[in-house]
Amino acid sequence: MAIPVIQKAVAIFWSSFIMAGVATLVFFAVFDPFELIAPTWFPNLSRLGAYSIGFFLFWMLTLSTSLLTSFFQRPVEQFNKS
Amino acid sequence: MSERRVESPSDDVDRQLYAKRQKIYPREVHGIFALLRTSAVLLLLGLYYFSPWLYWDGRQAILFDLPERKFYLFDLIIWPQDFIYLSALLIIAAMSLFFFTALAGRLWCGYACPQTVWTEAFLWIERKIEGSRQKQIKRDKAPLTLNKFVVKASKHAVWILFSLWTGFTFVGYFTPILELANKIVHFNTGPWETFWVLFYGLATYGNAGWLREQVCIYMCPYARFQSAMVDANTLIISYDSVRGEPRGPRKKGIDPADVELGSCIDCTICVQVCPTGIDIRDGLQYQCIGCAACIDACDDVMEKMNYPKGLIRYTTQKALAGEDTHVLRPRMFVYAGLMIVVVTAVLFGLLTRDVIGLDVIRDRNALYRETGDGLIENVYTLKIVNMDGEAHVFDVDIDGLDGAQLVEDGDSVEVESGRVVSYVVRVQVDPNRMTQQSSDFMFRIHSPTAPGLDAEENARFVGPRWLGTGS
Repeated sequence: MAIPVIQKAVAIFWSSFIMAGVATLVFFAVFDPFELIAPTWFPNLSRLGAYSIGFFLFWMLTLSTSLLTSFFQRPVEQFNKS
Repeated sequence: MSERRVESPSDDVDRQLYAKRQKIYPREVHGIFALLRTSAVLLLLGLYYFSPWLYWDGRQAILFDLPERKFYLFDLIIWPQDFIYLSALLIIAAMSLFFFTALAGRLWCGYACPQTVWTEAFLWIERKIEGSRQKQIKRDKAPLTLNKFVVKASKHAVWILFSLWTGFTFVGYFTPILELANKIVHFNTGPWETFWVLFYGLATYGNAGWLREQVCIYMCPYARFQSAMVDANTLIISYDSVRGEPRGPRKKGIDPADVELGSCIDCTICVQVCPTGIDIRDGLQYQCIGCAACIDACDDVMEKMNYPKGLIRYTTQKALAGEDTHVLRPRMFVYAGLMIVVVTAVLFGLLTRDVIGLDVIRDRNALYRETGDGLIENVYTLKIVNMDGEAHVFDVDIDGLDGAQLVEDGDSVEVESGRVVSYVVRVQVDPNRMTQQSSDFMFRIHSPTAPGLDAEENARFVGPRWLGTGS
């Protein structure tokens, strides 16, 4: 069966997006960003900013994992051609 | 070198990877289920766009104040400590999804899912600007003219405005919406607010304007595991193939039996109205979002043909097979039972929730010490949590320790709303009045200005070892 390109994109971007959202929610329910960012480079970052950056860091992490999973799942026979 | 070439499994996948999606133009449909869906759309969109503007007690009634880390729901304030309620809410949502799916299939998808609701709104805008299905198909096939450009551009402009309003409303649930509106009018929104308005707006525009049924088909996990909840007693939208087949066109008013045909006249209107582009006559498919547009459409045709309605209808697999359908079956009771248990637990938890919390931590460095006056002293750190909406002052007392004296640095302690304050106190006891090495007693805090705001916590007072020998 053919797998449409949209489904491939969804498998990487969408699944990682959901899990990044869940991770952000759980993480920031436990840790207050104010206490985390005080000793870092951005002590003046607002909480909303910290949540947003946290979300995108999580998304980068989950996105790269999804990407690697998809990459390693590709059939390997093609590397013997040409 | 061998000439043999092994066909790799990826060849097939790669070749068809770029299969282009056929755009679906759902035909407009009228009928009882269309009316239900439109009502659901209006109700849900109304709630979404209106709720953040509700005021309660001088503040926004529903506000998920992320910067302040508290969620306001009318009188209720939820703190990060109340995370368990969110988990309970998710369990309730899951159970109701199971319950309704087992009862009547994908009611959620057809009537309440945000994807459906916003897609319906976008389709409505599209029809108002671009015209009927036929006109849309014709225009899309035609070469680009000024007229086509204007029509398309105005459609996207309205979509984008609508999406931006959606994004603005979304952010309005997280930062006070009046302030946000004010900032937008004066073009001085914060960078993160701006970003999330645009991000959510873009997501709305992309999902409801462009992706549409692909969200349901590829992005939604629910579609994939619905079969676990649907059984032969579940109401699903089905084509009655016994009555419908063999399908075929015929003139109006002809009795199917006379022409050796079934009731289906093969007009394909059920396919044209389908928002996911499937043919319901092929049986239950995972793409079907249960919107019942095909029921309305087919009933309409049946009426015109003077045939009985219901060739496509809500029915069960058992009913189609001529057996009895049982709505009240064990799984319904299990889902409903679990749902009732969790809802009761949440309500009970919320109603009996303490807004004031007290924790007592004994000084870890020394069991006890002797003061200059010969008294035995223990040091405690009180952690006082105030989950009420405003600051409170608390008095600390001890109870249950004979002849004990509480030594504080001040008279009372103030705790701001939503904060935890550590308050160090000392308890002193005359050793002559102690009968044992360690005794239990109790710390009590209460607010002198707000009656009813109190908490208590057990603690242990430890003295020298010789007290324990009974001498």
